[in-house]
Amino acid sequence: MPEPAGPDLLRLDGVCKSFGKVVVADRLSLTVGAGDLVGIVGPNGAGKSSLFGLIAGDLRPSAGQIVFAGRPVTRLDATARCRMGIGRTFQVPRPFGGMTVLENVLVAVQQGAGLRRRPSYAAAAAVLDRTGLLGDANIPAERLGLLSRKRLEVARALATGPDLLLLDEVAGGLTDPEVAELVTIVRGISAQGVAVVWIEHVLHALTATVHRLLCLAGGTFIGDGAPAEVLALPEVREVFLGTEVTASLHQAGPRLADGQDREDR
Amino acid sequence: MSWVNAIIQGILLGGLYALFACGLSLMFGVMKVVNLAHGDLAVVAAYIGLGVIAITHVPAVWAFVIVVPVFAVIGYVLQRTLLQAALDRGVLTTLLVTFGLSVVIENGLQQFFSANSHSINIGSLVSDSFSIGSQITIAYLDLVILVVAVVVLLGLQYFLSASASGRLIRAVADDPEAAQISGVSYRHVFGIAAAIAFGTVALAGLAFGMYSQFDPTIGTDQLLLFAFEAVVIGGLGSLWGTLAGGILLGVAQQIGAQIGAQYELLAGQLFFLAVLVLRPQGITSRKETA
Repeated sequence: MPEPAGPDLLRLDGVCKSFGKVVVADRLSLTVGAGDLVGIVGPNGAGKSSLFGLIAGDLRPSAGQIVFAGRPVTRLDATARCRMGIGRTFQVPRPFGGMTVLENVLVAVQQGAGLRRRPSYAAAAAVLDRTGLLGDANIPAERLGLLSRKRLEVARALATGPDLLLLDEVAGGLTDPEVAELVTIVRGISAQGVAVVWIEHVLHALTATVHRLLCLAGGTFIGDGAPAEVLALPEVREVFLGTEVTASLHQAGPRLADGQDREDR
Repeated sequence: MSWVNAIIQGILLGGLYALFACGLSLMFGVMKVVNLAHGDLAVVAAYIGLGVIAITHVPAVWAFVIVVPVFAVIGYVLQRTLLQAALDRGVLTTLLVTFGLSVVIENGLQQFFSANSHSINIGSLVSDSFSIGSQITIAYLDLVILVVAVVVLLGLQYFLSASASGRLIRAVADDPEAAQISGVSYRHVFGIAAAIAFGTVALAGLAFGMYSQFDPTIGTDQLLLFAFEAVVIGGLGSLWGTLAGGILLGVAQQIGAQIGAQYELLAGQLFFLAVLVLRPQGITSRKETA
Protein backbone atom coordinates (compact mmCIF):
# COMPACT_ATOMS: atom_id res chain seq x y z
CA MET A 1 0.00 0.00 0.00
CA PRO A 2 1.45 3.43 -0.89
CA GLU A 3 2.12 5.81 1.96
CA PRO A 4 -0.72 8.32 2.46
CA ALA A 5 0.14 11.84 1.36
CA GLY A 6 -0.40 13.26 4.85
CA PRO A 7 -1.57 12.36 8.36
CA ASP A 8 -4.74 10.27 8.57
CA LEU A 9 -7.81 12.34 7.87
CA LEU A 10 -10.29 9.50 7.92
CA ARG A 11 -10.04 6.15 9.61
CA LEU A 12 -12.53 3.28 9.61
CA ASP A 13 -11.94 0.49 12.12
CA GLY A 14 -13.83 -2.77 11.72
CA VAL A 15 -17.00 -1.15 10.42
CA CYS A 16 -19.92 -3.55 9.88
CA LYS A 17 -23.30 -2.99 8.28
CA SER A 18 -25.95 -5.33 6.86
CA PHE A 19 -29.38 -4.90 5.37
CA GLY A 20 -31.12 -8.11 6.32
CA LYS A 21 -28.95 -10.86 4.89
CA VAL A 22 -27.07 -8.56 2.54
CA VAL A 23 -23.72 -7.62 4.04
CA VAL A 24 -22.56 -4.23 2.71
CA ALA A 25 -19.68 -3.74 5.14
CA ASP A 26 -17.87 -6.65 6.74
CA ARG A 27 -15.28 -5.41 9.26
CA LEU A 28 -14.14 -2.70 6.88
CA SER A 29 -10.99 -0.83 7.78
CA LEU A 30 -9.62 2.06 5.78
CA THR A 31 -7.44 5.10 6.22
CA VAL A 32 -7.42 8.15 3.98
CA GLY A 33 -4.74 10.77 4.44
CA ALA A 34 -5.24 14.52 4.09
CA GLY A 35 -5.04 15.43 0.41
CA ASP A 36 -5.24 11.82 -0.79
CA LEU A 37 -6.90 11.00 -4.08
CA VAL A 38 -8.41 7.54 -3.79
CA GLY A 39 -10.57 5.58 -6.19
CA ILE A 40 -12.98 2.79 -5.31
CA VAL A 41 -14.23 0.20 -7.75
CA GLY A 42 -16.32 -2.88 -7.29
CA PRO A 43 -19.21 -4.81 -8.76
CA ASN A 44 -22.77 -3.63 -8.32
CA GLY A 45 -24.05 -4.33 -4.84
CA ALA A 46 -20.54 -4.50 -3.42
CA GLY A 47 -21.43 -1.85 -0.85
CA LYS A 48 -19.72 1.16 -2.42
CA SER A 49 -22.50 3.67 -1.94
CA SER A 50 -23.23 2.21 1.50
CA LEU A 51 -19.60 2.86 2.40
CA PHE A 52 -20.17 6.53 1.61
CA GLY A 53 -23.37 6.43 3.62
CA LEU A 54 -21.42 5.12 6.59
CA ILE A 55 -18.66 7.73 6.24
CA ALA A 56 -21.06 10.63 5.65
CA GLY A 57 -23.47 9.62 8.40
CA ASP A 58 -26.58 8.56 6.48
CA LEU A 59 -26.07 5.01 7.74
CA ARG A 60 -25.11 3.90 11.23
CA PRO A 61 -22.65 1.00 11.45
CA SER A 62 -23.70 -1.97 13.57
CA ALA A 63 -20.13 -2.31 14.80
CA GLY A 64 -16.81 -0.52 14.44
CA GLN A 65 -15.60 3.03 14.67
CA ILE A 66 -15.18 5.95 12.29
CA VAL A 67 -12.68 8.70 13.10
CA PHE A 68 -12.48 11.93 11.13
CA ALA A 69 -9.84 14.60 11.70
CA GLY A 70 -8.88 12.93 14.97
CA ARG A 71 -12.42 12.88 16.35
CA PRO A 72 -14.74 9.87 16.60
CA VAL A 73 -17.78 10.64 14.44
CA THR A 74 -19.53 7.27 14.56
CA ARG A 75 -22.45 8.67 16.54
CA LEU A 76 -22.76 12.01 14.74
CA ASP A 77 -25.47 12.59 12.11
CA ALA A 78 -24.91 13.61 8.50
CA THR A 79 -25.40 17.30 9.23
CA ALA A 80 -22.71 17.36 11.92
CA ARG A 81 -20.25 15.40 9.77
CA CYS A 82 -20.88 17.74 6.84
CA ARG A 83 -20.10 20.73 9.04
CA MET A 84 -16.90 18.98 10.23
CA GLY A 85 -15.68 18.77 6.64
CA ILE A 86 -17.08 15.66 4.99
CA GLY A 87 -18.70 16.55 1.66
CA ARG A 88 -20.50 14.00 -0.48
CA THR A 89 -22.43 13.66 -3.70
CA PHE A 90 -25.31 11.32 -4.39
CA GLN A 91 -24.99 8.80 -7.18
CA VAL A 92 -28.25 10.04 -8.68
CA PRO A 93 -28.07 13.84 -8.37
CA ARG A 94 -30.58 15.22 -5.91
CA PRO A 95 -30.62 18.98 -6.40
CA PHE A 96 -33.30 21.11 -4.74
CA GLY A 97 -35.34 21.18 -7.94
CA GLY A 98 -37.42 24.29 -7.39
CA MET A 99 -34.41 26.41 -6.48
CA THR A 100 -31.94 28.06 -8.77
CA VAL A 101 -28.43 26.65 -9.13
CA LEU A 102 -27.10 29.55 -7.07
CA GLU A 103 -29.62 28.94 -4.30
CA ASN A 104 -28.67 25.27 -4.17
CA VAL A 105 -25.05 26.21 -3.62
CA LEU A 106 -25.90 29.04 -1.23
CA VAL A 107 -27.65 26.62 1.12
CA ALA A 108 -24.48 24.53 1.27
CA VAL A 109 -22.20 27.55 1.69
CA GLN A 110 -24.30 29.10 4.44
CA GLN A 111 -25.08 25.93 6.36
CA GLY A 112 -22.18 23.61 5.57
CA ALA A 113 -19.36 26.16 5.55
CA GLY A 114 -21.06 28.59 7.94
CA LEU A 115 -20.62 31.72 5.82
CA ARG A 116 -23.22 34.50 5.81
CA ARG A 117 -24.36 37.33 3.56
CA ARG A 118 -21.79 38.84 1.21
CA PRO A 119 -18.96 36.35 1.84
CA SER A 120 -21.39 33.49 1.25
CA TYR A 121 -22.37 34.87 -2.16
CA ALA A 122 -18.73 35.33 -3.11
CA ALA A 123 -17.92 31.76 -2.05
CA ALA A 124 -20.94 30.41 -3.94
CA ALA A 125 -19.88 32.27 -7.08
CA ALA A 126 -16.34 30.91 -6.75
CA VAL A 127 -17.64 27.34 -6.45
CA LEU A 128 -19.93 27.80 -9.46
CA ASP A 129 -17.01 29.18 -11.42
CA ARG A 130 -14.78 26.21 -10.54
CA THR A 131 -17.46 23.73 -11.55
CA GLY A 132 -18.38 25.54 -14.75
CA LEU A 133 -21.90 26.44 -13.64
CA LEU A 134 -21.57 30.21 -13.37
CA GLY A 135 -23.56 30.74 -16.57
CA ASP A 136 -26.42 28.64 -15.20
CA ALA A 137 -26.51 30.31 -11.78
CA ASN A 138 -30.07 31.60 -12.10
CA ILE A 139 -31.61 28.59 -13.80
CA PRO A 140 -33.92 26.38 -11.71
CA ALA A 141 -31.96 23.21 -10.93
CA GLU A 142 -34.75 20.99 -12.24
CA ARG A 143 -34.10 22.31 -15.75
CA LEU A 144 -30.45 21.25 -15.84
CA GLY A 145 -29.21 18.43 -18.07
CA LEU A 146 -27.36 15.43 -16.67
CA LEU A 147 -23.84 16.87 -16.91
CA SER A 148 -24.88 20.07 -15.18
CA ARG A 149 -26.74 18.12 -12.51
CA LYS A 150 -23.62 16.12 -11.82
CA ARG A 151 -21.61 19.33 -11.71
CA LEU A 152 -24.14 20.84 -9.32
CA GLU A 153 -23.88 17.77 -7.11
CA VAL A 154 -20.11 18.33 -6.96
CA ALA A 155 -20.54 22.09 -6.54
CA ARG A 156 -22.91 21.65 -3.62
CA ALA A 157 -20.54 19.25 -1.87
CA LEU A 158 -17.61 21.55 -2.55
CA ALA A 159 -19.56 24.53 -1.23
CA THR A 160 -19.69 22.99 2.24
CA GLY A 161 -15.92 23.54 2.44
CA PRO A 162 -14.91 19.89 2.81
CA ASP A 163 -11.53 18.45 3.80
CA LEU A 164 -12.78 15.13 2.46
CA LEU A 165 -14.92 14.90 -0.65
CA LEU A 166 -16.83 11.69 -1.44
CA LEU A 167 -17.76 11.46 -5.12
CA ASP A 168 -20.27 8.77 -6.03
CA GLU A 169 -20.15 7.95 -9.75
CA VAL A 170 -20.07 11.53 -10.92
CA ALA A 171 -18.91 10.40 -14.37
CA GLY A 172 -21.63 7.77 -14.84
CA GLY A 173 -23.86 8.29 -17.86
CA LEU A 174 -21.78 11.11 -19.33
CA THR A 175 -20.16 11.29 -22.76
CA ASP A 176 -16.37 11.14 -23.00
CA PRO A 177 -15.82 14.88 -23.42
CA GLU A 178 -18.11 15.44 -20.44
CA VAL A 179 -16.16 12.88 -18.40
CA ALA A 180 -12.95 14.68 -19.31
CA GLU A 181 -14.42 17.95 -18.03
CA LEU A 182 -15.36 16.37 -14.72
CA VAL A 183 -11.92 14.80 -14.36
CA THR A 184 -10.40 18.25 -14.77
CA ILE A 185 -12.69 19.59 -12.05
CA VAL A 186 -11.82 16.72 -9.68
CA ARG A 187 -8.09 17.18 -10.28
CA GLY A 188 -8.45 20.87 -9.52
CA ILE A 189 -10.22 20.12 -6.25
CA SER A 190 -7.56 17.59 -5.28
CA ALA A 191 -4.79 20.04 -6.19
CA GLN A 192 -6.15 22.42 -3.56
CA GLY A 193 -5.49 19.89 -0.82
CA VAL A 194 -8.97 18.39 -0.48
CA ALA A 195 -8.85 14.62 0.03
CA VAL A 196 -11.05 12.91 -2.56
CA VAL A 197 -12.54 9.42 -2.45
CA TRP A 198 -14.12 8.62 -5.78
CA ILE A 199 -16.40 5.68 -6.56
CA GLU A 200 -16.58 5.17 -10.31
CA HIS A 201 -17.50 2.63 -12.95
CA VAL A 202 -15.94 4.69 -15.72
CA LEU A 203 -12.55 3.08 -15.17
CA HIS A 204 -10.40 5.04 -17.57
CA ALA A 205 -11.43 8.27 -15.89
CA LEU A 206 -10.65 6.86 -12.47
CA THR A 207 -7.36 5.16 -13.22
CA ALA A 208 -6.08 8.25 -15.01
CA THR A 209 -6.82 10.40 -11.97
CA VAL A 210 -6.29 8.59 -8.67
CA HIS A 211 -3.04 7.59 -6.96
CA ARG A 212 -4.55 4.73 -5.05
CA LEU A 213 -7.30 2.31 -5.93
CA LEU A 214 -9.41 0.12 -3.68
CA CYS A 215 -11.61 -2.71 -4.86
CA LEU A 216 -14.68 -3.45 -2.77
CA ALA A 217 -16.60 -6.71 -3.10
CA GLY A 218 -19.04 -8.36 -0.73
CA GLY A 219 -18.43 -5.70 1.89
CA THR A 220 -14.65 -6.15 2.10
CA PHE A 221 -11.67 -4.64 0.33
CA ILE A 222 -10.01 -7.19 -1.90
CA GLY A 223 -7.43 -4.84 -3.34
CA ASP A 224 -5.64 -1.68 -2.23
CA GLY A 225 -2.71 -0.05 -4.01
CA ALA A 226 -1.63 1.59 -7.22
CA PRO A 227 -4.44 1.39 -9.82
CA ALA A 228 -2.63 -0.81 -12.31
CA GLU A 229 -1.53 -3.25 -9.59
CA VAL A 230 -4.98 -3.54 -8.08
CA LEU A 231 -6.67 -4.12 -11.41
CA ALA A 232 -4.09 -6.79 -12.21
CA LEU A 233 -4.87 -8.81 -9.07
CA PRO A 234 -6.50 -12.11 -10.01
CA GLU A 235 -9.19 -11.83 -7.32
CA VAL A 236 -10.09 -8.34 -8.51
CA ARG A 237 -10.31 -9.48 -12.10
CA GLU A 238 -12.43 -12.40 -11.04
CA VAL A 239 -15.07 -10.59 -8.98
CA PHE A 240 -15.09 -7.32 -10.80
CA LEU A 241 -15.15 -7.16 -14.55
CA GLY A 242 -13.34 -10.28 -15.59
CA THR A 243 -11.28 -9.87 -18.72
CA GLU A 244 -12.66 -6.44 -19.57
CA VAL A 245 -10.36 -4.85 -17.03
CA THR A 246 -7.15 -6.05 -18.59
CA ALA A 247 -8.40 -5.16 -22.03
CA SER A 248 -9.17 -1.63 -20.91
CA LEU A 249 -5.85 -1.19 -19.15
CA HIS A 250 -3.89 -2.10 -22.21
CA GLN A 251 -5.93 -0.03 -24.61
CA ALA A 252 -6.99 2.65 -22.16
CA GLY A 253 -10.14 2.26 -24.21
CA PRO A 254 -12.41 5.23 -23.88
CA ARG A 255 -15.78 3.53 -23.90
CA LEU A 256 -14.96 0.54 -21.82
CA ALA A 257 -17.27 0.89 -18.89
CA ASP A 258 -20.33 1.63 -20.95
CA GLY A 259 -23.32 -0.24 -19.72
CA GLN A 260 -22.05 -0.21 -16.15
CA ASP A 261 -22.97 3.39 -15.76
CA ARG A 262 -26.66 3.24 -15.31
CA GLU A 263 -26.77 0.40 -12.84
CA ASP A 264 -26.57 0.46 -9.08
CA ARG A 265 -29.69 2.59 -8.86
CA MET B 1 -76.99 43.49 -5.50
CA SER B 2 -77.60 40.70 -3.01
CA TRP B 3 -75.41 38.44 -5.12
CA VAL B 4 -72.61 40.96 -5.07
CA ASN B 5 -73.04 41.11 -1.31
CA ALA B 6 -72.86 37.31 -1.10
CA ILE B 7 -69.58 37.32 -2.99
CA ILE B 8 -68.15 40.09 -0.84
CA GLN B 9 -69.18 38.31 2.36
CA GLY B 10 -67.67 35.12 0.94
CA ILE B 11 -64.36 36.84 0.29
CA LEU B 12 -64.35 38.21 3.84
CA LEU B 13 -65.16 34.79 5.30
CA GLY B 14 -62.52 33.23 3.06
CA GLY B 15 -59.87 35.32 4.75
CA LEU B 16 -60.57 33.48 7.99
CA TYR B 17 -60.51 30.11 6.24
CA ALA B 18 -57.22 30.96 4.58
CA LEU B 19 -55.74 31.95 7.93
CA PHE B 20 -56.79 28.58 9.34
CA ALA B 21 -55.46 26.72 6.34
CA CYS B 22 -52.08 28.49 6.34
CA GLY B 23 -50.52 26.39 9.09
CA LEU B 24 -51.98 23.19 7.73
CA SER B 25 -50.57 23.97 4.30
CA LEU B 26 -47.14 24.76 5.75
CA MET B 27 -46.94 21.63 7.92
CA PHE B 28 -47.93 19.45 4.99
CA GLY B 29 -45.77 21.26 2.47
CA VAL B 30 -42.60 21.15 4.57
CA MET B 31 -42.82 18.14 6.90
CA LYS B 32 -45.46 16.13 4.99
CA VAL B 33 -47.34 16.04 8.29
CA VAL B 34 -51.11 16.05 7.97
CA ASN B 35 -51.96 17.64 11.28
CA LEU B 36 -55.37 16.31 12.32
CA ALA B 37 -55.12 18.30 15.56
CA HIS B 38 -54.89 21.55 13.61
CA GLY B 39 -58.45 22.72 14.27
CA ASP B 40 -58.25 21.78 17.95
CA LEU B 41 -55.04 23.73 18.35
CA ALA B 42 -56.82 26.80 17.01
CA VAL B 43 -59.55 26.30 19.60
CA VAL B 44 -56.94 25.90 22.33
CA ALA B 45 -55.49 29.25 21.26
CA ALA B 46 -58.94 30.82 21.54
CA TYR B 47 -59.41 29.40 25.06
CA ILE B 48 -55.98 30.55 26.15
CA GLY B 49 -56.77 33.99 24.76
CA LEU B 50 -59.99 33.94 26.74
CA GLY B 51 -58.08 32.99 29.88
CA VAL B 52 -55.38 35.60 29.36
CA ILE B 53 -57.97 38.34 28.98
CA ALA B 54 -59.99 37.11 31.96
CA ILE B 55 -56.97 36.97 34.26
CA THR B 56 -54.99 40.03 33.21
CA HIS B 57 -57.86 42.24 31.99
CA VAL B 58 -55.70 43.44 29.10
CA PRO B 59 -57.45 44.57 25.91
CA ALA B 60 -58.23 41.70 23.53
CA VAL B 61 -55.49 42.74 21.11
CA TRP B 62 -52.88 41.88 23.72
CA ALA B 63 -54.01 38.29 23.63
CA PHE B 64 -52.32 38.06 20.22
CA VAL B 65 -49.05 39.41 21.55
CA ILE B 66 -49.01 36.75 24.27
CA VAL B 67 -50.63 33.71 22.69
CA VAL B 68 -49.01 33.75 19.22
CA PRO B 69 -45.38 33.58 20.47
CA VAL B 70 -46.33 30.97 23.09
CA PHE B 71 -47.84 28.85 20.35
CA ALA B 72 -44.78 29.26 18.19
CA VAL B 73 -42.64 27.87 21.02
CA ILE B 74 -45.10 25.03 21.59
CA GLY B 75 -44.94 24.28 17.86
CA TYR B 76 -41.15 24.09 17.85
CA VAL B 77 -41.01 21.85 20.91
CA LEU B 78 -43.82 19.58 19.72
CA GLN B 79 -42.14 19.17 16.32
CA ARG B 80 -38.74 18.38 17.81
CA THR B 81 -40.22 15.79 20.18
CA LEU B 82 -43.55 14.11 19.46
CA LEU B 83 -43.98 14.90 15.76
CA GLN B 84 -40.35 14.16 14.81
CA ALA B 85 -40.53 10.86 16.69
CA ALA B 86 -43.67 10.06 14.70
CA LEU B 87 -42.05 11.14 11.42
CA ASP B 88 -39.06 8.88 12.10
CA ARG B 89 -41.50 5.98 12.19
CA GLY B 90 -43.24 6.90 8.95
CA VAL B 91 -45.74 9.39 7.60
CA LEU B 92 -48.74 7.25 8.57
CA THR B 93 -47.64 7.40 12.20
CA THR B 94 -47.99 11.18 12.13
CA LEU B 95 -51.65 10.75 11.19
CA LEU B 96 -52.24 8.50 14.19
CA VAL B 97 -50.30 10.75 16.54
CA THR B 98 -52.02 13.97 15.49
CA PHE B 99 -55.39 12.20 15.61
CA GLY B 100 -54.58 11.12 19.16
CA LEU B 101 -53.50 14.65 19.98
CA SER B 102 -56.83 15.89 18.66
CA VAL B 103 -58.78 13.51 20.92
CA VAL B 104 -56.69 14.45 23.94
CA ILE B 105 -57.13 18.17 23.31
CA GLU B 106 -60.90 17.98 22.81
CA ASN B 107 -61.43 15.98 25.97
CA GLY B 108 -59.03 18.14 27.91
CA LEU B 109 -60.92 21.27 26.84
CA GLN B 110 -64.25 19.75 27.84
CA GLN B 111 -62.78 18.84 31.22
CA PHE B 112 -61.41 22.30 31.92
CA PHE B 113 -63.84 24.62 30.17
CA SER B 114 -67.05 22.48 29.93
CA ALA B 115 -68.87 21.92 26.67
CA ASN B 116 -70.45 25.39 26.77
CA SER B 117 -69.80 27.92 24.05
CA HIS B 118 -67.58 30.90 24.69
CA SER B 119 -66.42 33.88 22.74
CA ILE B 120 -63.71 36.47 23.18
CA ASN B 121 -65.29 39.79 24.07
CA ILE B 122 -64.05 42.62 21.87
CA GLY B 123 -66.86 45.04 22.74
CA SER B 124 -68.66 46.82 19.95
CA LEU B 125 -66.07 45.96 17.28
CA VAL B 126 -67.79 42.62 16.78
CA SER B 127 -70.85 44.31 15.33
CA ASP B 128 -69.48 47.60 13.99
CA SER B 129 -69.76 47.89 10.25
CA PHE B 130 -70.03 50.27 7.37
CA SER B 131 -72.34 50.17 4.40
CA ILE B 132 -71.80 50.54 0.69
CA GLY B 133 -75.09 51.35 -0.95
CA SER B 134 -78.19 49.91 0.59
CA GLN B 135 -77.46 46.20 0.48
CA ILE B 136 -73.76 45.74 1.16
CA THR B 137 -72.65 45.87 4.76
CA ILE B 138 -69.08 45.14 5.72
CA ALA B 139 -68.14 44.38 9.31
CA TYR B 140 -64.88 45.96 10.44
CA LEU B 141 -63.83 42.75 12.18
CA ASP B 142 -64.32 40.68 9.01
CA LEU B 143 -62.33 43.19 7.01
CA VAL B 144 -59.52 43.23 9.58
CA ILE B 145 -59.36 39.43 9.53
CA LEU B 146 -59.20 39.38 5.72
CA VAL B 147 -56.43 41.97 5.68
CA VAL B 148 -54.49 40.05 8.32
CA ALA B 149 -54.91 36.83 6.33
CA VAL B 150 -53.68 38.42 3.12
CA VAL B 151 -50.72 40.04 4.86
CA VAL B 152 -49.78 36.83 6.71
CA LEU B 153 -50.05 34.48 3.73
CA LEU B 154 -48.40 36.75 1.20
CA GLY B 155 -45.79 37.74 3.79
CA LEU B 156 -44.97 34.10 4.45
CA GLN B 157 -44.83 33.36 0.75
CA TYR B 158 -42.37 36.21 0.33
CA PHE B 159 -40.36 35.04 3.36
CA LEU B 160 -40.11 31.55 1.89
CA SER B 161 -39.03 32.69 -1.55
CA ALA B 162 -36.75 35.59 -0.68
CA SER B 163 -35.04 35.05 2.69
CA ALA B 164 -32.14 32.78 3.61
CA SER B 165 -34.24 31.07 6.29
CA GLY B 166 -37.06 30.60 3.82
CA ARG B 167 -34.61 29.01 1.41
CA LEU B 168 -33.67 26.48 4.09
CA ILE B 169 -37.33 25.65 4.64
CA ARG B 170 -37.75 25.08 0.89
CA ALA B 171 -34.62 22.92 0.85
CA VAL B 172 -35.75 20.58 3.64
CA ALA B 173 -39.25 20.47 2.18
CA ASP B 174 -37.75 19.27 -1.10
CA ASP B 175 -35.24 16.70 0.18
CA PRO B 176 -34.24 16.42 3.86
CA GLU B 177 -31.33 14.06 3.11
CA ALA B 178 -29.87 16.29 0.43
CA ALA B 179 -30.28 19.17 2.87
CA GLN B 180 -28.26 17.24 5.45
CA ILE B 181 -25.31 16.77 3.11
CA SER B 182 -25.45 20.51 2.53
CA GLY B 183 -24.99 20.98 6.28
CA VAL B 184 -28.62 21.77 7.08
CA SER B 185 -30.04 20.42 10.33
CA TYR B 186 -33.41 19.51 8.91
CA ARG B 187 -34.90 18.71 12.31
CA HIS B 188 -34.22 22.26 13.47
CA VAL B 189 -35.64 23.70 10.26
CA PHE B 190 -38.72 21.49 10.64
CA GLY B 191 -39.06 22.95 14.13
CA ILE B 192 -38.95 26.49 12.76
CA ALA B 193 -41.56 25.67 10.13
CA ALA B 194 -43.76 24.17 12.86
CA ALA B 195 -43.27 27.29 14.99
CA ILE B 196 -44.49 29.46 12.12
CA ALA B 197 -47.41 27.12 11.46
CA PHE B 198 -48.44 27.10 15.12
CA GLY B 199 -48.14 30.88 15.27
CA THR B 200 -50.60 31.20 12.40
CA VAL B 201 -52.90 28.62 14.03
CA ALA B 202 -52.98 30.77 17.16
CA LEU B 203 -53.68 33.85 15.08
CA ALA B 204 -56.54 32.09 13.31
CA GLY B 205 -57.93 30.64 16.54
CA LEU B 206 -57.97 34.02 18.29
CA ALA B 207 -59.55 35.69 15.26
CA PHE B 208 -62.18 32.98 15.18
CA GLY B 209 -62.80 33.38 18.92
CA MET B 210 -63.63 37.02 18.32
CA TYR B 211 -65.62 36.38 15.18
CA SER B 212 -67.83 33.61 16.50
CA GLN B 213 -68.78 31.39 19.41
CA PHE B 214 -66.54 28.41 19.99
CA ASP B 215 -66.71 25.20 21.99
CA PRO B 216 -64.30 22.29 22.55
CA THR B 217 -65.41 20.24 19.54
CA ILE B 218 -65.71 22.91 16.86
CA GLY B 219 -62.02 22.55 15.95
CA THR B 220 -62.44 19.18 14.30
CA ASP B 221 -66.12 19.51 13.39
CA GLN B 222 -65.70 22.65 11.31
CA LEU B 223 -62.34 24.40 11.34
CA LEU B 224 -60.21 21.42 10.34
CA LEU B 225 -62.57 20.52 7.52
CA PHE B 226 -62.67 24.03 6.07
CA ALA B 227 -58.91 24.36 6.40
CA PHE B 228 -58.40 21.08 4.56
CA GLU B 229 -60.76 22.13 1.81
CA ALA B 230 -59.02 25.47 1.41
CA VAL B 231 -55.62 23.77 1.14
CA VAL B 232 -56.82 21.20 -1.39
CA ILE B 233 -58.76 23.71 -3.49
CA GLY B 234 -55.73 25.97 -3.66
CA GLY B 235 -53.22 23.23 -4.33
CA LEU B 236 -50.99 21.48 -1.80
CA GLY B 237 -47.89 23.26 -0.66
CA SER B 238 -48.61 26.70 -2.10
CA LEU B 239 -49.52 29.55 0.23
CA TRP B 240 -50.82 31.72 -2.62
CA GLY B 241 -53.05 28.79 -3.49
CA THR B 242 -54.19 28.40 0.10
CA LEU B 243 -55.25 32.04 0.22
CA ALA B 244 -57.13 31.68 -3.05
CA GLY B 245 -58.60 28.36 -1.89
CA GLY B 246 -59.89 29.84 1.36
CA ILE B 247 -61.49 32.76 -0.44
CA LEU B 248 -63.10 30.56 -3.11
CA LEU B 249 -64.48 28.25 -0.42
CA GLY B 250 -65.92 31.24 1.43
CA VAL B 251 -67.50 32.60 -1.75
CA ALA B 252 -68.97 29.18 -2.64
CA GLN B 253 -70.52 28.92 0.82
CA GLN B 254 -71.99 32.40 0.72
CA ILE B 255 -73.44 31.88 -2.74
CA GLY B 256 -75.02 28.70 -1.44
CA ALA B 257 -76.38 30.61 1.54
CA GLN B 258 -77.83 33.18 -0.86
CA ILE B 259 -79.82 30.42 -2.55
CA GLY B 260 -81.03 29.12 0.78
CA ALA B 261 -79.57 29.02 4.27
CA GLN B 262 -79.49 25.23 4.27
CA TYR B 263 -77.22 25.21 1.20
CA GLU B 264 -74.33 27.12 2.75
CA LEU B 265 -72.22 24.13 3.78
CA LEU B 266 -73.43 21.98 0.92
CA ALA B 267 -72.31 24.51 -1.67
CA GLY B 268 -68.86 24.64 -0.11
CA GLN B 269 -68.50 20.86 -0.15
CA LEU B 270 -69.81 20.58 -3.71
CA PHE B 271 -67.31 23.15 -4.89
CA PHE B 272 -64.57 21.23 -3.06
CA LEU B 273 -65.63 17.98 -4.73
CA ALA B 274 -65.80 19.67 -8.12
CA VAL B 275 -62.21 20.87 -7.72
CA LEU B 276 -61.11 17.40 -6.66
CA VAL B 277 -62.68 15.88 -9.76
CA LEU B 278 -61.85 18.52 -12.34
CA ARG B 279 -58.53 19.85 -11.07
CA PRO B 280 -57.13 17.55 -8.39
CA GLN B 281 -53.79 19.35 -8.26
CA GLY B 282 -55.60 22.51 -7.09
CA ILE B 283 -56.44 25.69 -8.90
CA THR B 284 -53.07 27.39 -8.61
CA SER B 285 -50.71 24.43 -8.93
CA ARG B 286 -48.97 23.53 -12.11
CA LYS B 287 -49.06 19.95 -13.29
CA GLU B 288 -47.19 17.65 -10.95
CA THR B 289 -43.57 17.25 -11.94
CA ALA B 290 -41.60 14.18 -10.96
